[in-house]
Amino acid sequence: MSNKVVYYHGCFANYYNPDSGKALVSILKRNDIEIIVPEQKCCGMPMMANGNPAGAKKNFDFNARMLAEAAAPGYDIITSCPSCNMMLKREGLPFFDSKDARFISERIYDASEYIYKLYLEGKLNTNFGEIPLKVFYHNPCHLRVQNITDVPVALLRLIPGLEVVKVNTNCCGMGGSYGMKKINHERSVEIAQKLWNEIKAANVDAAVTECGGCGLQMAAGTGIRVIHPLVLLNDAYVKGDARKAA
Amino acid sequence: MANIPGLIVVEPSPEQSKHRAAGIFVRKEKRIEGESVKEHLRKIREDARSNNASLIEQLQKTLGKYDGVKITSAKDAKEAVSYIKQIADNTTLASINKSNIVVNELRPGLQAAGFKTYLRYYGEFNNFEEGKFQKKVEDYWSLPGMHGRNLVESFDKRHSITRLSSSGIKDYVAIMGVNAISAEDGTVYFLQHMSNITKDLQQAKKIILVVGIEKILKNKEDALFHTKSMGIYGLESILLDLIPHDIEKYDFESLPELSGENGQELHVIFYDNGRSELLKNGYSDLFLCIDCRACARQCPVGQHIFLDKGMVYSPKNYLLGSLQGWLPPVEVCLHCGRCQVECPVDIDIPTLIWKAQFEHYAEDGRSLKKKMLDDPELLAKLGGMTAPLSNWMVKLWIVKMMTQFFTGVHKDSTLPEFHRQTFRDWFKGGSHE
Ligand code: SF4
Ligand code: SF4
Repeated sequence: MSNKVVYYHGCFANYYNPDSGKALVSILKRNDIEIIVPEQKCCGMPMMANGNPAGAKKNFDFNARMLAEAAAPGYDIITSCPSCNMMLKREGLPFFDSKDARFISERIYDASEYIYKLYLEGKLNTNFGEIPLKVFYHNPCHLRVQNITDVPVALLRLIPGLEVVKVNTNCCGMGGSYGMKKINHERSVEIAQKLWNEIKAANVDAAVTECGGCGLQMAAGTGIRVIHPLVLLNDAYVKGDARKAA
Repeated sequence: MANIPGLIVVEPSPEQSKHRAAGIFVRKEKRIEGESVKEHLRKIREDARSNNASLIEQLQKTLGKYDGVKITSAKDAKEAVSYIKQIADNTTLASINKSNIVVNELRPGLQAAGFKTYLRYYGEFNNFEEGKFQKKVEDYWSLPGMHGRNLVESFDKRHSITRLSSSGIKDYVAIMGVNAISAEDGTVYFLQHMSNITKDLQQAKKIILVVGIEKILKNKEDALFHTKSMGIYGLESILLDLIPHDIEKYDFESLPELSGENGQELHVIFYDNGRSELLKNGYSDLFLCIDCRACARQCPVGQHIFLDKGMVYSPKNYLLGSLQGWLPPVEVCLHCGRCQVECPVDIDIPTLIWKAQFEHYAEDGRSLKKKMLDDPELLAKLGGMTAPLSNWMVKLWIVKMMTQFFTGVHKDSTLPEFHRQTFRDWFKGGSHE
């Protein structure tokens, strides 16, 4: 293996959607990139949102230290959850500033951003098989506000047969556990309505998004199957293998 | 004859805008560079922020030279309202403009003091029916989206008032937040979307200008640029609350004209209401705001809350209102971060909201429910260890009700599925090798 990256999986890929993490490992392996998974805790954003900055600081400092240590030889750090990415890149900084925090903030990438960068540099293995699927792409706010909007769509469009029918950049109203809370539930549903209507109108096979919360909200309102883009990308590689073998 | 500084009304011109909207496609060299506008604007605002004290002083001196202006200072809404009450004679009829200061900060006090307050502007939209109404707004503004990209300016000086009138005036007070005022010569700027401001400046017996201390700029050029920028960036947002809802109407046109000796009066209130505090306690970036409400269009919650208070809340005003105490503490923000995206002066509202929340919880403590949701990782660990049992459990009605009761998680929420094998377990197991 010629190259390494440090992976921050966060809670979502670890506990709720291990498939997205597994897909990432497999994608990178096909590109000769080895993955390092240091010790880590929840990014701390849920604690911040629930009014516990002290707890968030503890987790944040721990993560910053572990990630900085692992990335010290000059490796990039990648995440597969938009909120973790945003927390580590910029939300935590004004409150929990440190040398490590600044170091990781400068070398952190969202996974699609990273993979697409490989593509632009001509380094991405593009042996993708066909995935004949019509999808709706929802861009999570936490990617949108970091200016990562076009990249995930461009990446999905590398998959033969896959059609991105509609791209949505509205807020889904979930906001982590925000929309789950009773006091916010109604408001959350009100915000989601527009997105739900768009999904229903798009008449697609599946919805694609990076964010676990957005995914729950989309599935709850429309019953649609929601897929993490990394899972799709990996499926395309698997299809590609099958084609080669045949 | 009383002499007064110029009162200038800036307005988008529908004719011009159509012309120029077409122009951006053909005359590319006429595009205004978004970044340079922002840079200039930011410089103006930073100037206003760091020189606020001296600008206030200078403006007071400048206005003192005009014998037609009565000036006063109000440290808070109460003082401003009591001044207005005192000079209003027996009039309780007030026309107010759609300024945040006047609507949000002063209106409740004015109403409590017995004033009938009307946003005269709403009355000018005669059709509040769904569909039709929205169309009318579009016709009026007829400009393409221009946030930070290809700016096409169509805002111009439309009316300039240099004398108080003694004819055609009516017995009411017009209370108006100004968009900007020049410290150098006292020229006052308003951004108008309909003719309401012009009419008030011509007709009201008492014109009361409320100058939020952040609205004082160095000179006329800066003040005009500031006013136009508010229109440019707020273009798609300023009309956000023009959705069909009950409006208070009053037929000002049918008021009888006052006779003979009754001339107009012009009052200026220097208004603080916590603003100088903000400068000191870590919220000074709010001082950079031009009140364009571009952030409001982005905010998913601003358009869904507090509408009963009569305005769509921009994140900045939501935060300001919380800090000033006329809105509840900032708890409804979902931390999406969108409000920062379109801000022409790059205010990091999301960070300021986090800060305000931390201060709020540090002072008032937090609910047990918040504490219960503190550690999703712990919950996930427990759930994962007991999966698939846990997944089956959380779907049970009784468990849902209990969860709602203890954690505040709504019983109809879809919760994520727990997995027995975590990613880490899988990774450590080495099956990926
Ligand atoms: S971060 Fe909060 S205030 Fe800002 S746009 Fe999102 S919900 Fe609104
Ligand atoms: S904070 Fe909001 S209203 Fe103020 S300048 Fe920025 S976008 Fe405009």
